[in-house]
Formats: sequence, C-alpha cells, structure tokens
Amino acid sequence: MKVYLDNVSTTSLSQEVRKTYEELLEEYYCNSDALYDDGVAIYNMQEKSRKLISNLLNVNSEEVIFTSGASEANSLAIKGLCLKHPDKKHLITSYYEHSSVYNSFKQLEEEFGFEVTYLKPDTDGHITIDKVKEALRDDTLLVSIMKVNNEIGAINDVEAIAEYIKKHPGTYFHSDITQAIGKIDIDLHNIDLASFSAHKIHGLKGSGALIRKRHVELLPLISGGQQEFSIRGGTSNSLVNIVLAKTLRIALENKEKYHDQLNEMHDVLVDGLKDIATINYDSGIKTLINISTSIQSEVLLNALNKYGIMVSSKSTCGSRKNELNRTLSSLNIDENYAIRVSFDYTNTKEELNYFIDSLKEILDKYG
Amino acid sequence: MDSLKYDHIVVRYGELSTKGKNRKEFTKMLTHNIKRRLKDYDKLTYNTLHDGLFIKLNDEDYSSIKKDLQDVFGYSYFSGAVRVKKDIEEVKNESLLLTKNHNAKTFKVATKRHDKQFPMSSDEINRAIAGNILHNSDLRVDVHNPDLMIYVSVDKDFIYVMDEKIRGNGGYPTGVNGMAMLMMSGGIDSPVAGYMTMKRGLKIECIHFASQPYTSKQALDKVLALARILSVYQEEILVHVIPFTDLQLAIYKNVDEPYCITIMRRMMYRIADEICKKRKIKVITNGESIGQVASQTPESISVIGKTADTLILRPLSMMDKLEIIDIAKKIDTYETSILPYEDCCTIFAPKSPITKPKEDKCIYYESLFNYNELVRNCIDNDEIIKVSYRDGGSENESLF
Repeated sequence: MKVYLDNVSTTSLSQEVRKTYEELLEEYYCNSDALYDDGVAIYNMQEKSRKLISNLLNVNSEEVIFTSGASEANSLAIKGLCLKHPDKKHLITSYYEHSSVYNSFKQLEEEFGFEVTYLKPDTDGHITIDKVKEALRDDTLLVSIMKVNNEIGAINDVEAIAEYIKKHPGTYFHSDITQAIGKIDIDLHNIDLASFSAHKIHGLKGSGALIRKRHVELLPLISGGQQEFSIRGGTSNSLVNIVLAKTLRIALENKEKYHDQLNEMHDVLVDGLKDIATINYDSGIKTLINISTSIQSEVLLNALNKYGIMVSSKSTCGSRKNELNRTLSSLNIDENYAIRVSFDYTNTKEELNYFIDSLKEILDKYG
Repeated sequence: MDSLKYDHIVVRYGELSTKGKNRKEFTKMLTHNIKRRLKDYDKLTYNTLHDGLFIKLNDEDYSSIKKDLQDVFGYSYFSGAVRVKKDIEEVKNESLLLTKNHNAKTFKVATKRHDKQFPMSSDEINRAIAGNILHNSDLRVDVHNPDLMIYVSVDKDFIYVMDEKIRGNGGYPTGVNGMAMLMMSGGIDSPVAGYMTMKRGLKIECIHFASQPYTSKQALDKVLALARILSVYQEEILVHVIPFTDLQLAIYKNVDEPYCITIMRRMMYRIADEICKKRKIKVITNGESIGQVASQTPESISVIGKTADTLILRPLSMMDKLEIIDIAKKIDTYETSILPYEDCCTIFAPKSPITKPKEDKCIYYESLFNYNELVRNCIDNDEIIKVSYRDGGSENESLF
C-alpha cells in the first residue's frame, strides 16, 4: 500500500488536466505569437485561459502573468518590484516565508543594498497586522507575507494587512498564496501582487502565475519579447498555460465539494494521533498537521517509508539542506522531531487510519 | 442578504404602457424576448397580464436569472416576489418574514394597487403592514432613507410582496420596431451604436467590410466577437462580411488621396443600402459621431450618406467619445474593441483626408472607374456568418 500524505509538497496530476494537456500536445506546436491561423488559435486559447483565471480570482485578465510556478512568480514579484523602484530601500517580510520569497529578500539585502525587516510569527504562528504596522516606515517599498504557511499551515489575515498597506503611500503588498489556493478563500482586492503554482492543486509542474495589479510596475527578470505584457520574456509555454484555467477551476470547485469530507478526515487524523504524538500545530488549514513523536523525524520518515507512507519532515524545498528551519524554530518546535502530514481529497479515511496504525507500530518498536 | 425565498418574478412594462393600440404586440414581444433569454431555466412558467409579466420560479435560481433578465430591453423594472393570497393577514405575515432576511434597522412600505376593487386603500395596507412589523420586531419606520423598502403590489388575482426593484435598461422590446443594419468596423463606437439601436426596439444585422490580406483574420474575429457580445440582447446576429479589397484598391488607384476615405465610405453605404433592400431592412445604423474624424464632419456625413436611400440613424452622432466609452464598458465591448487589429479604415488612411468634401467632386472621382461592377461583386460575395453568445465563442470548451 502506498499512502501519499505530502500534498503540501506537491500533488498528483488531475486526470482531467492530464488528458486535456495530452490532447493539446498531440495537436498543437506553433508559437502562440505567430500570426498565422495555427499560432493565433493557440494564442486565443491561452488568452481565454487567462480570462477564465482572472474571473476565478476576481481580477482583470491583464493582471494574470503566466510563470513557471510560484518560485518564479515570487522572485518576479519581489525582485522585479524592488529593482524597478530602487529609491525606496526598506522591505518587510516574515521569517517563515517559503525559500523563494525569503531568499529573494536575502539577495536584495546582500547584493542590492536593501534593508529588510524579518517578522517572526507570534506564539499562535501568525504574522499579525500589528507587527507589520510596527515595522512599517515611510521608505518601506514592499511588504510580503504568505497567506498560508507551508510547514505548519498557519493562516495569516493578509487581507487585513493589505487593506492597511493600501492606505500607506508608496508601499506595495505581496502575498505568496500557493498553499492557500484551492484550500481557503482569498480576497485579492487590496493585494498588489500574489503568486501561486499549479502543481500544488493537481496541475502541471512548471506552471503557475503571478497576479500583478495594473498599477504595479515590475522590472522583467527574464528579458525577451512581448510575451506576458513584456514582463516575462521567452516563448510562451502555451499549452501548459491553457490547462492552468482548468486546473484552477477544478481546484476551486473541489474546495467547496470536499469541504465537509476534509474536515471529517482532519478529525479522524487528530483523534488518532492525539494519544501517540504531540500535535505541534493544528489551528491552520485543515489538511496539514505538524506533529512530533518520541522518534527523530529522519528515523520516523525512513520507518514510515517502509510502510509505503510518504510524509516529510520539513519544507521539501529545504529538505537537503542543513540550515536551521526558520518556521519551526520561530515557534520553538524542535525540528529534529517534527513531521508534516498533509492530505487532500485524493486521500481516504482508510489511508489515514493505516497511517495512524503504522505509526503506532513504529512507535511501539522504536519509540 | 439575498436568502429570501422568492417564488415569482414580477416584470412591469413602463414605457410600453404609453403605447395604446400597439401595447399588446409590445407585451407579446417582450414576453417572447424574456422567454428566449431565460430559456435555460426550463422550469419557469409565464403569465402575461395587462399590468405586468408574472414569472413563476418553480425553484429555478433567482440570483442567476436576475442577472440574465437585465439583458432584455422594454420593461421598466422587475422584482423577485413572494406571492400571497389576497388576504391582508397573509400580506402582513409575509412582510414580517421578509424583514427577518435583512439586517435593516429601518423600513418603509409602499403599496401599489393595480386592482382598484381591493377593499383597502394603499395607505391602509401600508399602515396595516407597518403596524404589524412595529409590533413584532425592533425595526423603525423611516420614510426618507429606509434600510429596507417593502413593496406590495395588489394585482388581479394575487398580492406580491417584494424587497427590491431592479431597473432594467429601459427601451423597447428588441424587434418590435423592425430591423436595422449596423455598419460594424470593430472599433469602440459601432457596438455601442448597435446596443442603442437594439434598445429602441430594432433587431440588428451587422455588415463588416473586410480587406484581407490588408486586414488580418484576427480583425474579422474581433468583429465576430463583438457581434457575439451584442447578440445577448437578441439571441443571435447575422454578420455580413463583405470582401472589400478589390473595391478599396480601385479607389486608391483612381481617387486623389484626400478623397479616398470619403469615396470609400460612400461605397460602403451603397453596399449596405443594397443589402438592406435585398433583406427588407428599413434602417442603416452606425457609430458615426459628429466631428470625431475627418469622415464624420457634418459636411462629410452629409456627402457620404447621399449614396443610400435607406434611412440612416446615427445614435452616437451627438455623443462625446468618453460617453461612448462608458457605455462600451458597461456593455462589455470595450476590452474587445481596443484589441489592436487594423480595420479597413485605418489601414488605408490618407495623411490628410478632406474634412469638407464636395459632392460634385465625389461624383467626378467616381466617374473615373467602373465601381458598379465592383460594388456588385461585393454584394454577390457577401458571406453571412451567424453568431450567438450561447456558442461561447469557442469550439474548445472542453479544454477549460
């Protein structure tokens, strides 16, 4: 039995998306910027996808920029904005952002002379509006706070922060919404920049988008032609961009459809775990639980792997590095013992029970 | 709060009511147009009466119908309504229930009696309802700025209780005043002209002059996309695509540059006129607006329009560009109109077009080549394309 409980890291590919993508691959190969009919046909489909995505997210279609995923979108939003507005030097982000955000800020700090304030989450795991207010200065150019943390699942009220920033002249607000999309509601109304990935919502790897509001000017990081409003050069990955609309539509439909089922699964998991493990964090999104046991996470991971169960010990993007885990250390969680269990609607209650039973066996044996 | 469970929609006629003898024909067309627009909601049942159209919802989704119904011209307003028996106690109860669906602190009741035989006056009904609400809730009456308006309509067989009036776009039921031919370039103005024409009860067909290969397929697609957006007001639109290139080239070969646009526009009117006659269409309409470009000065419009016998109506003639853009945005054609594809007017635009053309000079230039045959070719090769918003504009629906 294989049980995949690492859906925060990536997700399986939706069969509907796969089929559509394969159909497109069979038929289309032209450059979407070519002026003959076959090129125009692809262009039109891609633009229709953009329009549908914008409708789903309540933004304008020219505010959707296709990227290769959230890491690129985050890099483009943060570095693109800061390099375009080098006169303002102060930036704010949080200590527990995804590495693509955190390292963009590090780079701006170390290579380009920006000054960055890194906010630590409070004891509940949140970056609060008060912390942002405290750090905000007249020369603050950008505030970037993630909607949902990828290691503990904490949900930040970025809408409230965005609303506050809106009234602060010359300061932009970016949010990495990768872990939120398809899981909880997000209101992009006051958010200037937002990034997400397709592969976290059963879409293709190498696909994502940056939502960039009309008034926000960015310096292109990939120089090229007229693609993506001249903000992101390179021949469009059109077929991938075309299926992003379907990916997002299905994700948002399933968010409603499986809402109750996922809540029930969450309760099954928490009930099963509460006597055998310490639940480090469980007040964020329902589909992610961070726990610790008496066994070191690396050992536990290996043991679970033998049972065919896939979970991770920390953010997968930092899994091969030996740096201090920023999220867990901010919350005083011992990263050597923490593991992250993340399910979604492709999992079953039986799988969760199998995981709980297997964990019990492992703990009996090695704990 | 929109959780109130309406069981009916009441549509009131408004401007139509002034139309004595034609009224019946108008209400019939209005009902027809509404049924057409709402045909996806197959459980709806309709009852057209003298004072209004009563649609029974039969559990269809009101919030979605509410949006679609606003695409129909020719009524004054409509309301989601709860129907009750003609019994004041029932009206009182239903009105009180209705207040529970709102977070209102203040209210006002407005009763209209379409049935003058009803034993209570409007004022008595208002007082009875308001009294009941005041007794049984914390709401207060505010006759000037109420949070909640309760509309009560006493009709022939039933009483309707409502909490909103949705004003439509007014006008006349599209089709009741016959047909018009809209000259459509693909710019901002012509779709707005089409909208205003349909609003006055004229059903439209479109005529588009295509100059391929000088204009691209995208330019034509854009025109079809615009027609598709407009088709929501009349279900489907026929677009006449006229192959204009040969005639246009002949003009540019034979006519002095400042007059080229003038002659070109005269040819367009000739062709539109012939097609109107062929199809028994009584009106030509377009997006010409006084002074906007050289071909739209009073002198130009006058000289250009002389080549058509058919009545030419120019709904935008007295409007400012910004007013036109506002409407284009409202009817959702603006974003499509500004897509950057060349149309037949822009591609051959002379450097200094004449702003005060003389008719005798036009006639002179037109005598220099045999335009009749070229015009005839255009008419004979008219390609008619039917578009409808229901087609979604794409055969690729399954991809999304």
